[in-house]
Order: sequence, then structure tokens, then C-alpha cells
Amino acid sequence: MQIWSPLYRPSIWSFRTSIGNREVGMDMWQVTTLAARIQESLLNQDFVRAGIFLGGGLAATVAAVSLLGLVLVYAERKVAAHFQCRLGPMRVGWHGVLQPIADGIKLFLKEDIIPTEADRLLFVLAPFFCILGMFLAILVLPVSPEIQIIDLDMGVIFLAAVSGFGVFGVLLGGWSSNNKWSMLGAMRAAAQIVSYEVSLTLALLVVVMFSGSLKMSEIIQSQAAGWWIWRAHGVGLVAFLVYVIASVAELNRAPFDLSEGESELTGGFHTEYSGLRFGLFFLAEFINMVLASAFAATFFLGGWMPFHLGDWQAFNAVMDRIPPLLWFVGKTSFMVFLFMWFRWTFPRLRVDQLMALEWKFLLPVSLVNLLVGAAVVLSGFYFFS
Amino acid sequence: MFNRQGIKQQQVKVGGKQLTIIQAPRPQRTSQVATVWGALCSLWNGMRVTWRYFSRPSSIVTQQYPENREHLKIPERFRAQLRLKYDENGEHNCTGCKICDVQCPNASIEVIDMRGESGKKEIDRFVWRMDICTFCNICVMVCPFDALEMSNEFESSVYDKRLLTYQLNRYAGPTKKAFEKIESSADRERLKVGRQPFEAPTPLGIAAGVASGPGVSVAPPSTMKKDDI
Amino acid sequence: MSLEIRTLSEIMNPPQTADSPLSTQEYFVNMGPQHPATHGVLRLVLKMDGETIREVIPVLGYIHRSIEKMAEYLHGRQIVHLTDRMDYLSALANNWAVSRAVETAMGVQTNPRIETIRTLICELQRVQSHQLWWGVLGLDLGALTSFFYGFRDREEITDILEETTGARLTMNYIQPGGLMFDLHPNFVPRVKAFIKYFRPKLDEYETLLSENVILQERLRNVGVLSAEDAIGYGATGPVLRASGIPLDLRKQQPYGVYDQVEFSVPVGTVGDCWDRYWIRIEEMRQSLGIIEQLIDNIPDGKFMEMKPAAKLKLPAGSFYLQIETARGSLGVFLQGTGEDIPHRCHFRSPNFNNLWSVTKTAVGGKIADLVAIVSTLDLVIPDVDR
Repeated sequence: MQIWSPLYRPSIWSFRTSIGNREVGMDMWQVTTLAARIQESLLNQDFVRAGIFLGGGLAATVAAVSLLGLVLVYAERKVAAHFQCRLGPMRVGWHGVLQPIADGIKLFLKEDIIPTEADRLLFVLAPFFCILGMFLAILVLPVSPEIQIIDLDMGVIFLAAVSGFGVFGVLLGGWSSNNKWSMLGAMRAAAQIVSYEVSLTLALLVVVMFSGSLKMSEIIQSQAAGWWIWRAHGVGLVAFLVYVIASVAELNRAPFDLSEGESELTGGFHTEYSGLRFGLFFLAEFINMVLASAFAATFFLGGWMPFHLGDWQAFNAVMDRIPPLLWFVGKTSFMVFLFMWFRWTFPRLRVDQLMALEWKFLLPVSLVNLLVGAAVVLSGFYFFS
Repeated sequence: MFNRQGIKQQQVKVGGKQLTIIQAPRPQRTSQVATVWGALCSLWNGMRVTWRYFSRPSSIVTQQYPENREHLKIPERFRAQLRLKYDENGEHNCTGCKICDVQCPNASIEVIDMRGESGKKEIDRFVWRMDICTFCNICVMVCPFDALEMSNEFESSVYDKRLLTYQLNRYAGPTKKAFEKIESSADRERLKVGRQPFEAPTPLGIAAGVASGPGVSVAPPSTMKKDDI
Repeated sequence: MSLEIRTLSEIMNPPQTADSPLSTQEYFVNMGPQHPATHGVLRLVLKMDGETIREVIPVLGYIHRSIEKMAEYLHGRQIVHLTDRMDYLSALANNWAVSRAVETAMGVQTNPRIETIRTLICELQRVQSHQLWWGVLGLDLGALTSFFYGFRDREEITDILEETTGARLTMNYIQPGGLMFDLHPNFVPRVKAFIKYFRPKLDEYETLLSENVILQERLRNVGVLSAEDAIGYGATGPVLRASGIPLDLRKQQPYGVYDQVEFSVPVGTVGDCWDRYWIRIEEMRQSLGIIEQLIDNIPDGKFMEMKPAAKLKLPAGSFYLQIETARGSLGVFLQGTGEDIPHRCHFRSPNFNNLWSVTKTAVGGKIADLVAIVSTLDLVIPDVDR
């Protein structure tokens, strides 16, 4: 399939290295993205089909995000409850499955309060910044070979660029509330997210080095012989741990939920928010958690790629029976559960310890890890190289 | 780190008394690598604890309250509502001596007495205000006639606190012991003056337009049916 | 030592001084009266420089119910039930303090059974109080799960106490001259079962929080209260013992049957939050030990030495005594005039004195440190205001 597009220009970033068993994957998996489908339709002058793809894709994304929000609220409450020897929501519907809908209706109907002294415009805009950052990151999310919106050549860089977008929402929300607690929360969030972005990106860079590509689909296909988390003698594992820690911090979830800091800052940046706007912050937080999990799965656990062991054809064939979408959902769910597990186990860090952890521990570790990773890549000394 | 062997015990003499003290251990730092490894292990151990409960639904302690009312166990001493003790004839022990009235720290009991037919003091009304009661049980403890008890009916919530004024005696008149001397049951019944709970005009009865007064009774919250909730 | 008295408005509106261009702006934040980490309606006015606390000014009185004044119109038996509402987490120890004061004033002797049951049940409540503290500490530091574990195990004791005393929180069980009820027949087997149940759980507490590196970092060398300061502020209980002073009224001025049981006093070395944390955990173990020693040796006897409705005439004179509650020493001062109501009643509550150490220890720390300090002081605000 020949595609011409400004976004699909072969860029200098997509150079091919001679290492990595990419050919196996290339043969098996044909990646089709939504953008490619629309472009194909446009090239064929089939505007109706392009419109259907465009509208359908948009509607599906919004629907998926909303549905995922509901599911996650329920899952979080149930998982938390079972960690804490409780039952969780049990009243609305069977085992409380309709509880998030009830919550949603409540949030919709609540009075929307804007403090008198708040900066109205920024206060209203702030939740949408969070939502915007979330939707931008969805663009490059590879869900399965057939489900991906756009497969940018510089997908990783795009991801790194937009993943910090949510901090605008948090910062503006906290600042415009004109509340000292919100302000403290916002400042904490800004410092935290900007700092942890560094090691997050360095952890991703290790995988980029291994796979030799910035393109999401190629990163996944480079894991056709095995996932990067275990193939590279611990380098992948360390990078994975760094990524997990940094992404928990990016997500403002416990043990790094300093910007909310319920017991310290009475809710932090969203202290003054209520009703639907509060719900938007919440939705963004939950969807961002799924996105972080999905990208963790993509980079370290092979994304939609089934679990393969080198060239062991018999084993790989069995694994291929399970559809890629299922692999993706499974891996993402595992990561989401891990994030919830962290949240309901660990106490919160202090703000200076948070910074010390990043700059004095994670950053050196990820830099050293990057060097070791480079050595591993150059020597080709990893499994199934 | 927190194995109990490493904890120092020593004998000291403070204020003329010999006592054993245990010194609190300090988390020790050894090397950087050991610290990092120890930190990761400690986090993992904590996660194992929560996982143990997550993976065992039998450890759930939630009680789903309205559903489990049938087998809900309330200890017999639980102090939920004050009431007079009645025997099988529906007779009580209260003489109207007002000791509980005097001993109540919050003045939540008011005992109104009257002269009976025999010329002796008898109880007219035993009024208990649940809204200011602190359930200290002093009234039950000090009652010389063992006439009071605390019942277990804890579901006493109402929408108007004025409904929390109870009249505890079902009739005004002599006590159980006085009745024992009377042979004929007709005489017994004659001496009893009916006092349904809330028979007296309660403020809410007037507010809600409920006809109130002698002979009309508003069901008290304590006799609420199980299906009401 | 000079004493400087300033009003809140003087502190919040200091005289203007020439600002250097490099100076940062200090600002005030109200932590409370409605704040999740102040455990009630405590208000702390914080003078902040960024995240760093420069000054802490506790403002009290939001849950003042004039218990001391009310006590001047009530007799001994009635005062006891008010003390349930002071430090509601160690209601039994409060009951005991007033009962003992009244008994001492009136010269009433109680039999060994009463004293053993009082000791036993107060130690149970000490464990219960520390369980709740442990759970809430986790909550304050962001680990919500420990809150539920603490409450789950606290419920076991609450059920045992409910069976005997008839109430779950405001028990009003220990009366002048004895007890309100005798022990419930189920009490002894259930306490034994509880000890068997709770010892492994205590180890689990240690695994979940004590060993956790984040918790250690949050507590170690935070809120250091030196021994001099602890004495100066009049801190008692685990807060004082964490500063290295092994003062435990159960040892120094034994009451009940504490002189017949063996237990050790956990003592800190530095006086930081970690020491206060560990001491409470260790006190739970020691209390379990005391309960184990006493549970099989409850002597026979009456549970009430006085007539229940007897008048409690306080002889003329002043009476003061202290007992060790879960939070420190609670002193009861009664001034009798020969009538049954006291002329003056005063409570020296442990939380009031412990609270003021926050003005020293939190300065220079972060807000999160203040939360940890307030949490490890284990404040019960109704006891501060009374």
C-alpha cells in the first residue's frame, strides 16, 4: 500500500538498524490505521467512505473513552474495596455495576460552582486541557494491527510531547481557583510532572534503541521474538521499572498523588471544582491511567503482539491463536491493576523526597541504563538477537 | 530490620521504680545498593499483604446492613432505647419514686406521679426524651425497683426530633407488686389508666395534622415494622 | 524565660518591614477547622514560605462543650459519663480517672476483682485506640488501606467491649465504687481468641507500614521533639516516651493491678515521628502481654462496692490524681465542699499539652511533615477543647 502524506514522509528518525529480528513480525502483521484507511479512500475519490471512517472513528473514540471511564470508576472502587476487605458498591444493579452511571448522573446534576474570585475563563478551560492531552495521546495508541488512529513515524516523540499536556490543565485549574491549597497542588503537579517526564522519556528511549524505530507499529513488531522487558538482560526490566514509577508520578496517582494530596491539601488542584468539571478531571485521570498502561504494554510487553519465544514456531503458532486485541486488553488490564495495587498499598511521598527520588535516583539510573542499553544494542548481546 | 531479636532491653530506675525499657530501633542504612534492594523488597512485601486480602474474598468483613437484619446479633446489654420492664400481665414495677429523674445527668427523664386510689404515690407519666439522652445507663443502674431496662431496638431514627419524646408507661397506676395483692382481675383493670406511647399530644402530631389526644395513638418509631425501611 | 503573648491578628498582620528584592512572600493558610488531616475541628494557622512552614498557631475552641463547667453541677457518677465524650478513644480510662478521684476523695476501697477488670478492659482499649491511630496514620500519609485494616481489627475489640459494657464508644462502664455490670461470660474466651487473632495481624501491620521505605522516609527525623522541649510543653504518654523519658504512670504511680503485671516501657531515642510510631506499635504488644497475664487470673468478688444510688459526698478539700490513658496522663482535679457536686472540676488532658509541641516541631518542615506530626501526636480534638 503506497501512502503519500506529509505525516508519512520517511523521516530521518526512521532509520533502520541492522539488528533486531524484525522480519518475522513484518511478514505476519499487516498494520492498517484509521488515517491510512481515510487516505486510501481519499485517493480513490471515495469521499463518503472517508467521511464514514472519519466520523465513525471520532464517535468510536469518544464512546470508548466514556465507556472506559465508567468501567474504570467501577473497577477502581471494586479493586480498592477488595484490597481493603470490603465489598465496594453493591446497591445499584448487580454487584453495583450501574454505580458509575449513578455517579455520573450525580456529577451532571450537581451545582457547578465557580468561585467568585476565580479567573473564570481559565477555571472553565482547565479541565478541557486535561481532556485534550488525553485525546492527543490516544492518536498514536496501537490497540491492535487494525485499530490505531495514526501510526506516526515519530510516534514516540509525539507521545513524549503530548503526555505533558495534561499538566497545563492541572496548573491552570489550581492557579485560577484562587485558593492557596489549589495553588500549592498546582505547583506541586507542575514540578512533579516536568521532572518525571525526563526519566519517562529516557526509559522509552531504551526501547527505541532496541527496536531502532520511533514508530509504534515497528516497536511492537520488533518484539515479535520476545518482549523487551525480558529480552535485554535486565536493561529492559530496569527501564520498565523506571517507566512505571515515572508514569505513576505523571498520572498523579498514589504514591505520587501530591497534587491532590487529599490529607494534606484537601484535594489539591481540584479543591474548588465540582460537578461536571470535577468529573472531567476525574475522567482524564482515569483514561490517562489506561493510556500509561497501554503504552507500558506497547513498549515493554509487546503491545498487541502475542507472547513469542524466538523462533520456536510451535509455541508461537499456539500463541497466535489468541487475537492481538485480546493480548492488548490483557496486558493493559494487568498494568492498570498494577497501578491500582500501588495506589492502595503505599503511603504518599513528601514533596522534597519526590524530587530527590527523580533527580538523585531515577535520572542517574535511567542514564546508566541507557548507556548499558546502548552497549547491549551495539554488541547484539540479547536474547533472539 | 524489625526482627525482635535486635531490640535492646535495659533496666533503669526512674522515680524510685525499677522498670524495663525497650529502645525503639532506628531504620539503619547500610550501602546504597542494599538500601535500594531493601526498599524494593519492603514495597513488594507490602504489596503481598494487600494481595493476600485481595485474593481471599473470605476476608471481607462488610456487613450489608438492611439485608442482614434477620441474623444481626446485638449484644443483650446494648443500650439502644430505654423502656419499662413489663411482666406477662403487662404490669411494671415503677412506683414513680423519681430517683432516675434526679440522677439523670441530662434531664432527659421526667417522671410525673399522682395520688392513686389507695392514697399512695403512683406513676402517671414516665416521659423519656431520647433526643437529649446520652445512654449512660445511670437510670437503669440506680432504679431501686428494677423497673427500667435498655432495649436492643437500635433502629430509632426519625425525620423529626420531636418524635423522639417517648412516654414509657403503658398505663398509669399501681406497680406489679401492688397488683399482686389484688385478687380480681376486674379490679386490676379498673385501676389501670391507659397510657399509650405518644398518646399525649406530641408537637409533631399537631404539626402534621394528625388527630391526637387521649384515645388516639401515633405509632412510635420503636414499633416500626421490618418492611418499613 | 520571658513569655510573649500575641493575638492572632497581630501575628497575621505584622508591622511592615522593608522587603529586600530577594525575599519571598510569606503567606498564611488555615489548616482546619475542616481539614482531613486535623482529626476533627482543630484549626492550625500556618505561616508558610512556599511549602515550608515558618510558624504554626493552633486555634482552639471549635468543639468546646464546657465539660468542666458542666461537671460543677453534676455529682461524681454523672461526671463519669461526661468523660466518655472527652477522649472518646479511651473512654474507659477517662471513666476510671474520675471514678478513682471520687473513690480516693471518699475513701472507698474497691476489691481486687474490680481493679483487675478495670486494668484488663483499659488495656484492651489502649490496644483499640492504638489500632485506630495506626489506621489513621496510614490514611494521613496516603495509604488508605491501612485505615480499613486498623478499623477491621478495632471492630473485634469493640464487639468484645460492647458485649460487656453495652456501648461501642461512650461506654460509661467504670463507676465510682465499681463497675456498671459484671464481666460478660463471653468476655474471657473472646479476649483469648482476639489475642490469638491479633498477634499475626500486628506483624502484618509491621510488614505493611513499618517496613515500608516510604513510611520510614516520611517519619524518620521528622518533627524531632527533644526531651527538654517535651518536658517543657508538658507532653506525656507516647509523645514524651518517644523523646527518651521513660515516664509511664502505670510504672511510676501504679494503680489498678499494674504493679502485679510484668511489662516493659518502650522508649524512643530521638523523639521524631518514627519513635512515636514505633512506641505505639510496641505498646500494643505490651498491652497484649498484660492482658494475657491477667485474663486467667480474674479474682472473684462483687463488681460494685457501693449502693448504686448512694450519694457521692465529696469531702471538703482538693483532690488530684492522674492515670495513663492511651495518649498520656489524664489528671483529674476535684475540689469538694462536703456536698455531692464538686466546687471545681478540672481535667488535665494529655492531648492539650501534646498538641502544643506542634508549634515547635513543625517549624521548618513541609506541610506533609505537619500532617505526619499531627498524626503521630495522636490528637483527639474533643479532649483538647473539652
